[in-house]
Amino acid sequence: MSSAATPAAVDTVMGAVALSERPRSLWRDAMARLHTRKLNYVYASVLAIYALVAIIAFTPLLGKSVFDAQVGAQYAPPAFTGTVEQGTANEHSTIRPSLWLGTDIAGRSVLYKLLYGTRVALTVSLLASILSVVIGTVLGLLAGYYRGWVDALITWLYTTINSIPWILLMVALAYALKDREFKMFGQEFKLVGIPSIVMALGLTSWVGLCRLMRGEVLKHRERDYVAAAKAVGAGTSRIIFRHILPNTFHLVIIDFTLGIVSFVQAEVILSFLGLGVKDQPSWGVMIDDAKLELMRNVWWQFAGATAAIFGLSICLNFLGDALRDALDPRLRGVD
Amino acid sequence: MQRSQEAQVKLLVDVRLDGANQLSQFPSSPTLPAPATPPPLNAGPPLLQVRNLRTWFPIKRGVFQRTVGQIKAVDGVSFDVQAGRTLGLVGESGCGKTTVGRTILRLIPATTGSVTFKGDDFFAHRGEDLRHLRRQMQIIFQDPVSSLNPRMTVGNIVGEPLTVHNIAWGSDRVDRVAALLQRVGLDPSYASRYPHEFSGGQRQRIGIARALALSPDFIVCDEPVSALDVSIQSQILNLLDDLQRERKIAFLFIAHNLAVVEHFSDEVAVMYLGRIVEKASRTELYANPKHPYTVALLSAVPEPDPRPKKTRIVLSGEVPSPSKPPTGCPFHPRCPLTREAAKQANAADTVEITTAGERVRVLRKCVEEVPPLEQKQGEPGHVAACWVTR
Repeated sequence: MSSAATPAAVDTVMGAVALSERPRSLWRDAMARLHTRKLNYVYASVLAIYALVAIIAFTPLLGKSVFDAQVGAQYAPPAFTGTVEQGTANEHSTIRPSLWLGTDIAGRSVLYKLLYGTRVALTVSLLASILSVVIGTVLGLLAGYYRGWVDALITWLYTTINSIPWILLMVALAYALKDREFKMFGQEFKLVGIPSIVMALGLTSWVGLCRLMRGEVLKHRERDYVAAAKAVGAGTSRIIFRHILPNTFHLVIIDFTLGIVSFVQAEVILSFLGLGVKDQPSWGVMIDDAKLELMRNVWWQFAGATAAIFGLSICLNFLGDALRDALDPRLRGVD
Repeated sequence: MQRSQEAQVKLLVDVRLDGANQLSQFPSSPTLPAPATPPPLNAGPPLLQVRNLRTWFPIKRGVFQRTVGQIKAVDGVSFDVQAGRTLGLVGESGCGKTTVGRTILRLIPATTGSVTFKGDDFFAHRGEDLRHLRRQMQIIFQDPVSSLNPRMTVGNIVGEPLTVHNIAWGSDRVDRVAALLQRVGLDPSYASRYPHEFSGGQRQRIGIARALALSPDFIVCDEPVSALDVSIQSQILNLLDDLQRERKIAFLFIAHNLAVVEHFSDEVAVMYLGRIVEKASRTELYANPKHPYTVALLSAVPEPDPRPKKTRIVLSGEVPSPSKPPTGCPFHPRCPLTREAAKQANAADTVEITTAGERVRVLRKCVEEVPPLEQKQGEPGHVAACWVTR
């Protein structure tokens, strides 16, 4: 009896859906969906430029000797060209990128500071985003999967944190962590600048993702594929990380992308309040400086920093929204 | 001989199930021979023994999550499944049949009761032991959409059991998955595909391949065809039939479609409100139903003949909530039989109750005492829980 062949033959005749040429994973589907809107490529390339600048800022090309050097007079307004080798016989006018956005109080190039600020902004927001996403994901998975007292504890924790206005909590934590010394592994650490900001941001902003994850996990743990995995003998960690997490991962990605935007802005707030980075230029510090300069009609430092933040935020926001549309099964009618 | 008989059975199955939506040649219809030779029941020790299984879900209220009641989804269920045989479990939605299947596999913790598999107390095992035992008991789900992980390829879904139990890796696993897919009638090249690319019937085949991966001796089929088109149903049922014959797998076949169960089972148990109310061999149950609930269920099976030969018994009222099951026989508020019996009984032996807005007189015994599942007239092994029927 060729029963193995019979159903297959039947299958190809009836009931089978036409298969595309390549397997369509949900990720590949999402990418195809992103691809249909060409504007997404514009956002992505702008973000790539920001990232590239940030990477260059880690090299000597944009190091301290570059952004700290005096390139002109105090508060020189933006100019396309400038004179070089002043006072010598060879004095002449030439194109000077360092003057394109004018200079600050110490005669340093605003453009170079701005470019270097990308490094601070992206480092802080990426690290803080990673921290908050990891905390939110793990706690959300645990609360949703185990329920019971684990859920009660985690829910209590995040509702407590959520009841305090985020900015207040973040600022308070940044104050508390600032310049704090602590011992770990027999070594003394001092939280200065970026690490303390990252912790202040990351530790206070995981609530949204945690709550979303918990809800999704509660839904998925009742799905039959989880029951099937249990019946097959899969362990808890396998069920959580191989089955449930991939099905809720779109939340992580969306939260990560949109988190970066808010962290770029938060870094500005902290720097404005004097809790930000020290000894290196950042967009927040520049805006903080600009609050006095504006009265003297020195607008370029302020304009440069806000434009940089605006460009990054808007591209991340648009791309984040596009990602959400592409990945969220509810918006795609799959779920 | 064997071959021709098999072919005949197969043909029969196809014919009967293809018309299955307005199904069917009703069970007791004399024009049809029995679909398969009824195997002797109770031969040898059973593969699976379920005794007094109870699955109660607590109802929690208030700030302190105080337990205020129990939903008795499964309330004292006992049965045996013989190796290589099929026990059909029928009943309407919400009667607890799915919970029975899942409790046996320990996907839901049992409140009390025991499950003995191959003479071994299944509920006593933990950890690695339990994982090992799970290889022998698998499940096929009703919903072909939610039972497959949408983020995993078909190859990973079917191959996961092999990985979890350290049976096969790498190319060996690929080969085994290909063989399994082929066995359930799918192209082995589908292994790199994702579930959402397939139709319902194909997905159900994927689910069957996953259940087969560990070569189990027992599979819970939890309404495996009720979400499928009628034409696909017969394909899937034939596949399950073939697999059972080929691999001697025992099935607990849970369904609400009586025609499907009749075709597929050796023995049938009828559940009502978390309890088994009647159990008999397939032929016996369909030809000679004892419990009034079974009779009502059978009368509800649609017939292809537009001029009905039998009267349909319409039960009054709703299925009571399993959190507050009726006292005595759980069926008494809807039972037509006890009302009839009460008319002839002494007034002292009857009692008046209000059900579905009407006042009816029923037997006192039905309200006060739970009827035991006992042997009734007919084939040995035909048991029913009813005070009225003989």
